[in-house]
Amino acid sequence: MALMEVKGLTMRFGGIVAVDGLDFEVEEGTITALIGPNGAGKTSAFNCLTGFYKPTSGSITYRGESMIDLKPHQITYKKILRTFQNVRLFKEMSVLENVMSGAHSISNQFVYGALTRSKSARKEEREILENAERCLDFIGILDKKDKVAKNLSYGDQRRTEWARALAAKPDLLLLDEPAAGLNAEEKGKLIELIRRFRKELGITVFLIEHDMSLVMEISEKITVLNFGKKIAEGTPAEVQSNPLVIDAYLGTGDDDDEEGSPWVK
Amino acid sequence: MEKLNSADAVDVKKLGFFGDLVEKCYTLMDNKKIKWTVLAVILGLMILFPFTTTNYWISVVQNAMFFALLAMGLNVIVGYTGLCHFGYAAKFAIGAYTTAVLVRQFGWDFWLTLPVAVVTSILAAIIIGGPTLRLRSDYLAIVTLGFGEIVRITARNLQITGAASGLSGIRRPSFFGIHLTSVTHWYYVFLVLVVIYIIVSYRIKNSRFGRALEYIREDEDAAQAMGINTTKFKLFAFIVGSVMGGIAGSFFTVRMGAISPQSFQFLMSANILLAVVLGGMGKIPGVILGAAFISMFPEFFRNVPFVGDARMLFFGLLLVIVMIRRPQGLWPDRRR
Repeated sequence: MALMEVKGLTMRFGGIVAVDGLDFEVEEGTITALIGPNGAGKTSAFNCLTGFYKPTSGSITYRGESMIDLKPHQITYKKILRTFQNVRLFKEMSVLENVMSGAHSISNQFVYGALTRSKSARKEEREILENAERCLDFIGILDKKDKVAKNLSYGDQRRTEWARALAAKPDLLLLDEPAAGLNAEEKGKLIELIRRFRKELGITVFLIEHDMSLVMEISEKITVLNFGKKIAEGTPAEVQSNPLVIDAYLGTGDDDDEEGSPWVK
Repeated sequence: MEKLNSADAVDVKKLGFFGDLVEKCYTLMDNKKIKWTVLAVILGLMILFPFTTTNYWISVVQNAMFFALLAMGLNVIVGYTGLCHFGYAAKFAIGAYTTAVLVRQFGWDFWLTLPVAVVTSILAAIIIGGPTLRLRSDYLAIVTLGFGEIVRITARNLQITGAASGLSGIRRPSFFGIHLTSVTHWYYVFLVLVVIYIIVSYRIKNSRFGRALEYIREDEDAAQAMGINTTKFKLFAFIVGSVMGGIAGSFFTVRMGAISPQSFQFLMSANILLAVVLGGMGKIPGVILGAAFISMFPEFFRNVPFVGDARMLFFGLLLVIVMIRRPQGLWPDRRR
């Protein structure tokens, strides 16, 4: 059984069908990607997976359990962590505090623990702190831990977001266009990092992306989406040679064709 | 937003004289010994203060401390969690009336009314917060504003709360045999409360609970993505803020010996909010100084010629200038 199974996922906004009957699976221990041209419905599909949208119809199961009615925070408690396309950090707080937020779902002190500062509360605080520092070290930005998030460079803001997701000790990591806004060197580091996520931490990675070079290099299985529908699925080599995919990305050569690439518009 | 960020980035490089000074102070405070010495000296001065001055100034400072309690309570809701709250006077009215009614109408001992005030504050927070905390912040502002008025008008119309004239002749309590009657007694009671509230505020801030509140303030979606049940945490922020206001209200009642709906007008809610925003939302020293400033400023200028009569006008002008020049509040942040 696959770790996550998506069947017939449909997301409708009024008259617009953003995702139309999408099926795919994420196998445990793999790096899987969902790609497609701009406007193909990737982000809508992603938001359904993370509980930010409630799909119109279809099913999403994780380890055999339905995730359809779960709220975003409940999905996080299932050890499924996400990042955002446009980095969403807690801007006025330090990098360390940002990463400590990751441990929220694996800790449980509440008002009582905060006020009494009981032994167990202090122990948990220490664990949250050490866990955050370990994650920052893993990503390689431990030296920036005291900086306020908004003062970081864009690349470091992205890295902070990855560290924050890691701090929750996820089983499945959902990355929303992780390469957006990164330069070639940073992309190289990202590829290495995503491989280390799986190799050293045993995390299954699912990403949506339209940067082809990154996707082709790291993913084992790719699902291609266009106009909300799945048009291809397979290994990078299979997908790259699929005529439908080439059409979707490069256009059919016939600009008058209504089904042409959205890039041509 | 982008513009703001780049402006901040520039600030990091050139701090100027004042910025350098702030940075030096923060660095000095990193040393635990120096930090505790400074705090001990401040506390010592506060303890000695009543011996150096008149009853009038003692009560002015005591009133400022009462204001600081309210501001710290509201700070949990507005400063940490970033929720709009325009009816905070209602929160302390609930504590105040609980104590007033129990002491005056039922002859309870003051200290026994405190747990009841805590319970009524929690109930009020759940009643108002439960259905409304799902609302976006601007709607929440309207609801809390309405709630503030409902509580005041209810108190004005109920017999048990003494209607429009309120309740008077509320017996003052004793504390280990000391009957708390003089201004100085109450000064020390409020000093102790301020110290407790500061400890509570810091403990909340540096805990999983408090950080979750700040994550919600900074970015609600990202907070949810990190597993924070935002509705639940907002409700608990509401409850904690409400209890802090309620307890302050209970003490206010017995200190004054009388309360009336007049004390809980919208102006009161606005002033507490002003103290929090002026001092710097979420920053505890800033909030305390903001409260001191709001409550003491009119007193300082009462006797200055020309300014005296128009002091509220100058007060308003000053606030406008501060808010334009320093929208993040007066208390300076560390540049990192």
